[in-house]
Amino acid sequence: MSLITVDHLVKQYGKEKAVNDLSFNIKKGSCTALLGPNGAGKTTTLKMVAGLLQPTSGKIEFEGLEKVDLRNHIGYLPQYPVFYNWMTAQEYLVYVGRLARLSKKEAQSKTAELLELVGLKDARNRRIGGFSGGMKQRLGIAQAMVHSPSLVMLDEPVSALDPVGRRDVIEMLREMKKHTTILFSTHVLNDAEEVCDEILIIHAGKMALSGSLKELREQYQEQTITITIKGDYSDWAATAKNYEFVTDVQFEHETITLVVNQLEEARKRVFQDLAKEDLPVSSFSVGQSSLEDVFMKVVQS
Amino acid sequence: MNQWMVLFTKEWLEAKRNFKLLWIPLVFILLGIMQPVSSYFLPDILEKAGDLPEGAVIDIPLPTSAEVIVSTLSQFNQIGVLILTLAFMGIVAGERNSGVQEMILVKPVAFGFYITAKWLTAVVLGLFSFFLGMLAALYYTSLLIGDVTIVDFSKGILVYSIWLLFLITALIFFSSFIKNSGIVAFLTIGLAIVLSTLSSLLSNWLSWSPGAIAGHAYAIIQTGSAMDGFGTSMVVVFVLIVLLLVGAVYLFKASRN
Repeated sequence: MSLITVDHLVKQYGKEKAVNDLSFNIKKGSCTALLGPNGAGKTTTLKMVAGLLQPTSGKIEFEGLEKVDLRNHIGYLPQYPVFYNWMTAQEYLVYVGRLARLSKKEAQSKTAELLELVGLKDARNRRIGGFSGGMKQRLGIAQAMVHSPSLVMLDEPVSALDPVGRRDVIEMLREMKKHTTILFSTHVLNDAEEVCDEILIIHAGKMALSGSLKELREQYQEQTITITIKGDYSDWAATAKNYEFVTDVQFEHETITLVVNQLEEARKRVFQDLAKEDLPVSSFSVGQSSLEDVFMKVVQS
Repeated sequence: MNQWMVLFTKEWLEAKRNFKLLWIPLVFILLGIMQPVSSYFLPDILEKAGDLPEGAVIDIPLPTSAEVIVSTLSQFNQIGVLILTLAFMGIVAGERNSGVQEMILVKPVAFGFYITAKWLTAVVLGLFSFFLGMLAALYYTSLLIGDVTIVDFSKGILVYSIWLLFLITALIFFSSFIKNSGIVAFLTIGLAIVLSTLSSLLSNWLSWSPGAIAGHAYAIIQTGSAMDGFGTSMVVVFVLIVLLLVGAVYLFKASRN
């Protein structure tokens, strides 16, 4: 069942179309990643769904909700969350909770629960002005969740974080996924692969590719053989194209990647030939192309 | 109304934390004290610092207490308005520019509540400071110069406070849709100057204009009754205040795209 249906969404700034005829839907309980390079229209799309921007044309429909204030059901974290620096983390969460029409008691208990979840319990009485980027991001996630919305949207929640912060946020998303529907944007496919089940790739305001992670893998993933040889063996890489089972060869520094269609056959033949020619192979592995390659193909076309 | 109170309470907590709650009343009190004190000591000051030739006789008549109150009010009309404008020019625009407004408005906040909570905060804090300033002026005037007719004084500053109410509302109006708080301040002060100047230049024709309200207040303090056109000016100013507020909410909503 889909929670949101977005239908032919367009946002125009002057002559520029930031979002151009975008249609998609988001399943209830899913975690969807909105992927795209910088400037693809991810933020604009999220802002329109959040009701912060009015679409030029097109419709955004929530399942079973008509003519109500959709903001009651949405949690949103902007790319660069800004808070009242003079408030403490606890005050801020209670404040936004009460703005979302929670009673004082509800807001307080929800705040305590969320501070625990995002790991800011010890910093709850500190002014937000003194928070680090990572702490602000966590607080941002907490404020998006404060009124238990049915959809949480996060704009680039991990892009600005260091590896540790990134890991923490990914873990938090996994936890949140159990309770609510999540839509988040990112330009890093890896992040999307880690938590999401659905992927929407947009490019220049248009939908480039969409589907579940599983479908995309089945459809686009290819078998590969990756060989690392010490020294310059670009000649050998060039001749590798002549194998009938090789569809593509990538050569990068000392690593040669062969995209193949008959894996068993390929492995046997390549292995034998490498042994026969006595090349200084330091690694040989069989695997699959990552979705990163699919992503690159889509956004560069 | 619950949500409105939450927004309103936040404004006051903010005013407390950034010390607006302290410095705005203090500045007004200081301004209120200065006028009667400097009127009283003017001859002494001139004598001590004026570097006058030996034997020169200075004879400046002590102004009446009503005159001192009126000149305090006209001080407020310049410096007071400037201070209020600078203190509140960013009340909406600042939050918009910092981006925090986006975080707040993505919650189910009524736009009207958001604007009116800020408006009432500015009005209450502004007028409270003004009244404190006038109380200080009243105290020092009756101490140094002479008795003040309390009834006329009260009526006068009440009428004057409506002029301030109008200006604060205009400030919120400009702030609701203009991003640059400098321009907000410029427009508000410009509006105050244009209205006051026109009303004093064409006082017969424009006695109904909000710019004439200060003049009405001066007249009440000095003579006990306002000039002609007072009633009309009150009706006009309240209609304008309501229109500005409604316009502020409307333009605030519209300018978010």
